[in-house]
Amino acid sequence: MTHSRVAVVASAQTELRPAWSGAQHIDLISAVVSNVFKGTGLGLADVDFVFDSGSDVLDGRSISNCGFLGAMGAHHKEESRIEEDGLWAALYGATKIAAGAASVGLIIAYSKPSESDINKFYSSQCEPFLQRPVGFDHRAASGMQAQRYLADHGRTASELASLVARRWRDAAARGRVAVGTCPSAQDVLAAPNAARPLTSLMMSRPTDGAVAVLLASEEIALRSQRAPAWITGLGTSMDSHAFHSRKPGALEACEAAARRALSRAGLAPRSASIAEVSGSSAVGELLVLEALGLADAGKALDAADAGTAINLSGGALPADPVMATGLVRLSEAFRQLTYPRLYGLASPTSAIVHGAGGVGMQSHCVMTLEV
Amino acid sequence: MQRDVAITGLGQTRHSRRRTDVSQAGLAREAALKALDDAGLTIDDIDSVVVASGPELFGAVNQPEKWLVDALGARLKPVVRITSGGGTGLAGALAAYYQIAGGFAERVLVVAYDKLSEGALQYSISTLYDPFWGRDFAVGIMGFSAAYWRARMDILGHTEEAAAMVAVKNRRNAMSNPYAHVKKEVTVEEVLASKPLAWPLKALDVPPISDGAAAVVMCSARAAAGSPAPPAWIHGMGYYCEADNAAERSLLVSEPLALAARRIYRSCGITNPRRQFDVVEVQEPYTCFELNYYESLGLCAPGEAASLIASGATQPDGDIPVNPSGGCLGANPIGAAGLIRMIEVAAQVTGRSEGIQIPGARLGLAQSGGGWANLRGLAVIGA
Repeated sequence: MTHSRVAVVASAQTELRPAWSGAQHIDLISAVVSNVFKGTGLGLADVDFVFDSGSDVLDGRSISNCGFLGAMGAHHKEESRIEEDGLWAALYGATKIAAGAASVGLIIAYSKPSESDINKFYSSQCEPFLQRPVGFDHRAASGMQAQRYLADHGRTASELASLVARRWRDAAARGRVAVGTCPSAQDVLAAPNAARPLTSLMMSRPTDGAVAVLLASEEIALRSQRAPAWITGLGTSMDSHAFHSRKPGALEACEAAARRALSRAGLAPRSASIAEVSGSSAVGELLVLEALGLADAGKALDAADAGTAINLSGGALPADPVMATGLVRLSEAFRQLTYPRLYGLASPTSAIVHGAGGVGMQSHCVMTLEV
Repeated sequence: MQRDVAITGLGQTRHSRRRTDVSQAGLAREAALKALDDAGLTIDDIDSVVVASGPELFGAVNQPEKWLVDALGARLKPVVRITSGGGTGLAGALAAYYQIAGGFAERVLVVAYDKLSEGALQYSISTLYDPFWGRDFAVGIMGFSAAYWRARMDILGHTEEAAAMVAVKNRRNAMSNPYAHVKKEVTVEEVLASKPLAWPLKALDVPPISDGAAAVVMCSARAAAGSPAPPAWIHGMGYYCEADNAAERSLLVSEPLALAARRIYRSCGITNPRRQFDVVEVQEPYTCFELNYYESLGLCAPGEAASLIASGATQPDGDIPVNPSGGCLGANPIGAAGLIRMIEVAAQVTGRSEGIQIPGARLGLAQSGGGWANLRGLAVIGA
């Protein structure tokens, strides 16, 4: 079997805001769906399938994709819901196009956590027998990861605070994120406790928003009016649900996902021009950078100024639209590769895109893009 | 015919109204181990796992695949969950199909389940509807389905008896299915006299609420070569939808199903489905839907479904047997139901049915669907 090459040919994103209180889900979704085609020469009629990511639990609605099919432009098309952060939906779309079964796929991810409670979203993922009764949740898992990281590598909470402040500044400068006033490192340290040593600002900030990415086969991508970015590597992996049986101080599932994606692409991590990663806490982001091979163990805080441009969009810490965070990373990486000057990049050639899900970042997805 | 992807391992749990002996994870594991064993493999041979289950409210665990990973032995493998309403079992298998056909994996384990005893089913389904304009008057899925059937009665002149004949056929077929947990033959008169739940739907038109899981091992052609059981080949499959503007929808044929049938049939050379298919399995949440599917799948002309069931053609000894397993009326673990339909067809075309075997079956059709009757898919499976 020969497989078609698959490209990202366009993306569109709403601003990520703490609350899009004046807009319903369908408004956010239809905004990105109508924008994603602009300048591509493609239209909704060219789309063979729509794959989407959203959460019944956050939406307060069973099979919530059913209610948004019209807004998604999915009427009379193939549609499936992949309930992660959008990057897994893109992965599914890439396999469908690679198989030669479709030419154009529309990938949509959205979230409105402002209408829900993000802590309950995570704690309801915990299995009901051992974890839930003791109140274990994502904050607890992230706090334990952070304690371990700081102790193992002699790092401090103020260093985490500086990282967070920097990410917010980047989001304000270049990300499509409603920031308001950027917190300083002192503000981050002084924020209320989330799970020691993490303050609430060291956890990613839940935001509302939607994102759409258009994938295409080689034949279509080469005819598209914008330069495509080719998907050259894909990998995913899920760790144990039992937090105590995961390897402390590392994200093994992220390592496994990265191994699969990078070896498929033949890409050495530190030769990548760009990395867009989803850390759901400050230490989570550091662990991801290390698992991806962008920094040695304990050194991710020092990797910020190395060869690879990391999270120029600000990443997930200032804006985490939960069910869309990974697809936002893909959209950002695509934008940076195709409009490098907007980001002060010279001539980037490759990007590592990372998405994650679950309590304590149990599951990971890695995709490589090349131009 | 495409021979890219095969089904080489089949597994179903014992389905029942309430499986108190296992957790959700244990239920999924039971099906997974059976499918792996059937394929002569262990989880170590598997590259990737797809979990499919219904809405989270059914089982009150958010993103349950993240809990199941340990019970499946799938730690550090790719694990993803597809959830697309009641047809999610088929939608999950479709994702696995493309993981293989697209070169992402060689061997994929698909596990589909629901443990409906752990949630309030019709309450969960009621939350499908729009919170502003739909939820106040929508009660579960039954009212909607009654409107579906009533439209056929009014416009096509179909009768309550036609749906009752489906109940009689499927409940009789379920008697021979070792996995069915509702085993009681009924007569047309008993169905008609059973308690109306949302007229014209009556108690015996309605499937049970079940705990159950199903699993398959799917392989590339290369990986299927060493399989101990004869592989069943997926000739084509798809899962289509229609948007939710009910006012514009036809309640007579299922537009997304007819669309799926047109597209998939064309891709795998089906021009006369009634003659070419040896066996059909449909996911009939209520008896009336089976009749709708006859027409949407092209087994008979539009409006002819009542005559088709009355003719006996869809009985196990008819020329186009539908649901020789008993369908959902025998067991209905919703998230697994679509995959169970595929398992039954795969077993039929390889001569391995554990219930009523259709003699000489070589090519079959599995149908599945969900949402508010707007997500519809099918798979063409052959020897």
